[in-house]
Amino acid sequence: MKKQPVLKKAEPYLWLAPSVLLMLSMIVVPVITVFRLSVSDISRAGVIKGFAGLENFQAIFASSKFWHTLQNTLVWTVVVVGVSTLLGFIIAMVLNQKFTGRKIVRAIVVFPWATSLIIQSIVWKYIITADFGSLNVILRKLGIISQNINWTPNATAYFAWECWIGIFVTVPFVTFCVLSGLQSIDENYYEAAEIDGAGFWKKLGSITLPLLKPSLTVSTVLNIIYVFNSFPIIWTITKGDPADKTHTLATYLYKLAFTNGRMGQAAAVSVVGFVILCICAGIYMVLSLKAEKEGQ
Amino acid sequence: MKKFLAMLLALAMVFALAACGGSSAPAAEAPAAEEPAAEEPAADKLPLNVIISQYGNNTQAWWDGVFVPGFETAHPDIDLTVEIVSWNDLYTVVSNRITNENVPDILNIDTFADYVADDLLMPAEEYTSAELKAKIIPSFWNANELDGTVWALPILASVRSLFYNVDILEAAGVEVPTTWDEVKTACAAIQAYDPDITPWSLDVSSDEGQAAFGYYTWNNGGGFVDDNGDWALNSAANVEALNFIKEMVDAGYCFADPMNATRYPQQDAFNAGSLAMMIGPCNMISASSEVNYGVAPMPTNGGNSPVAFGVCDRLMAFKNDSAPDQAARTAAISAFFDYFYDQEVYSEYMVYEGFLPVTSDASAYLPEHADQFNKCEANGGTPGENDYFATWCGMLADCDFYPASRAEWIDVKQGVIDAEQQVLEGADAQAVLDELQSAIAG
Repeated sequence: MKKQPVLKKAEPYLWLAPSVLLMLSMIVVPVITVFRLSVSDISRAGVIKGFAGLENFQAIFASSKFWHTLQNTLVWTVVVVGVSTLLGFIIAMVLNQKFTGRKIVRAIVVFPWATSLIIQSIVWKYIITADFGSLNVILRKLGIISQNINWTPNATAYFAWECWIGIFVTVPFVTFCVLSGLQSIDENYYEAAEIDGAGFWKKLGSITLPLLKPSLTVSTVLNIIYVFNSFPIIWTITKGDPADKTHTLATYLYKLAFTNGRMGQAAAVSVVGFVILCICAGIYMVLSLKAEKEGQ
Repeated sequence: MKKFLAMLLALAMVFALAACGGSSAPAAEAPAAEEPAAEEPAADKLPLNVIISQYGNNTQAWWDGVFVPGFETAHPDIDLTVEIVSWNDLYTVVSNRITNENVPDILNIDTFADYVADDLLMPAEEYTSAELKAKIIPSFWNANELDGTVWALPILASVRSLFYNVDILEAAGVEVPTTWDEVKTACAAIQAYDPDITPWSLDVSSDEGQAAFGYYTWNNGGGFVDDNGDWALNSAANVEALNFIKEMVDAGYCFADPMNATRYPQQDAFNAGSLAMMIGPCNMISASSEVNYGVAPMPTNGGNSPVAFGVCDRLMAFKNDSAPDQAARTAAISAFFDYFYDQEVYSEYMVYEGFLPVTSDASAYLPEHADQFNKCEANGGTPGENDYFATWCGMLADCDFYPASRAEWIDVKQGVIDAEQQVLEGADAQAVLDELQSAIAG
């Protein structure tokens, strides 16, 4: 039976409608609401009193804690994304080789990614805790140490551990992104390069990396967005303590909203984070479009 | 085209995650996920919505299994809904409901000044019967006064005191410390006796660091406010107290990370016998603990008398201008309170949760009749102990409490925790307390 022209024209939009509605209600509306709250005067109890202009932004910009948190967020994002990309790349290269038990190793690598971040964070918290932690217990039983070591003597040490946990849980994602890219590279390229006398580094620089660029770009951009907004690791391990020195923007705004009762300022912090991510995504779009033009 | 789609996907991710990252704030506007589906009250019944904070794993069981059926039998014209909310979520849930203009009729929480500031609460005199007012211990009634009006009723209390492991102290050859100097001497002796035992407990985490501030400043002649009731956070006594905390940590007498180790694992350590001394709440001894423990007043410094430290939570009634029959609503709220504070009902709940009563009749009744009620399952499910209430109820009348009725309390609470943590990180105690005092009192 032939479809009616109007219905045929509308069909794609009908199929898209549920997704569009979902995005509008679950993404666009909350984002607009955050912007509105960021310029609102909200009482500690949660009552919106009226328009506050840029007062919430002025308050957060005047706080040294905000700037420290922003610095932490940038360090956290760069370190976690950077190191996990490097490690993920190396592990993917190894897993792309043929060896006995490869399937089992691949399954093990995916475990940290498949486990809830909260559970991972709690487990790590129990590993590194100085007084009750399993790391000290194991080291003492092995006779390597005689007294417990305080693995988290200050805020910097805590933040370093949090970065490590972030890396640990992010590596599998990068590994499998890169691995899928590696598996799509035609073996003939390598065979031809070997005939021409290319070594490992030459093949890596001239074949593997250029052909992996799309996979690496996708994993890096998604990781930047995901890690930048990550909440569970830091909240579970330190809640931003000691003295608010281990916050990232996500945990800082949560504490501002629900511990300190500063809902407007929390929304302002959220807007700042949103703007930073938009800039990152914008840079990515410009670079990608440029690359697409050059490729044509 | 593929790249364009990929870019669209990336942009959508930014929006999605930004929305998630900021979900704390917009959640205040969006319908709260935690809210239960509103049950349609029976046509001829007056709905009464109550939020009770979760004091333990069995709180829900008592309210659902004992209180609600009993109340609805006594008041068949009221449709009572009790929602139990954990302390972790309580502030979020309440804030969401206020923003959505869906306030509960009655709320159980620890502070009320912010709600008074927004004109959300009913004065307690409007719903408290004369009989009930007469039996609430006056110090607890007055502790809920702000600007000459009482805005809430105390629901329960607990007392903090020094718990010590008798066997460890005896083995280390030390007496129960009464002064800070004696604390240091005892800790050194315990450490020498067995390095695997932690001598002293300290929690300056964001969970309850304000309590540690109270323990040490009050027992050094300082505290949150001065004799006139003005904020006095940077007093010399408070500076000395913070320096004492740092001294204890630096000497290795406490757990290695008091800025993140909350009270709960430390209570577990005391109950397991690996912590020698701990300032903790009256109900901190677990049912399964075999520790031979004693209780003593908190050690003091500078010849000050020990200050007993009390913690009290509150019940408050919200205004609801849209209620069709205000008089009937107020009567239902009064009925709830009268029933809850009934000697038998209230005593049963105190034994069940292991907290202390704030009414004079239950305070007199429980030291002799606590064994008629059972503790909750988490506390062993065994009959209550008369001695427990005889000991702790007697201390309650002389306790000092947080100045939680002040509008600045939330900032002070966060501020003193921050100050303690900064000092432990190496900052100068006088400087951080001066800064806090300036931020709070101007």
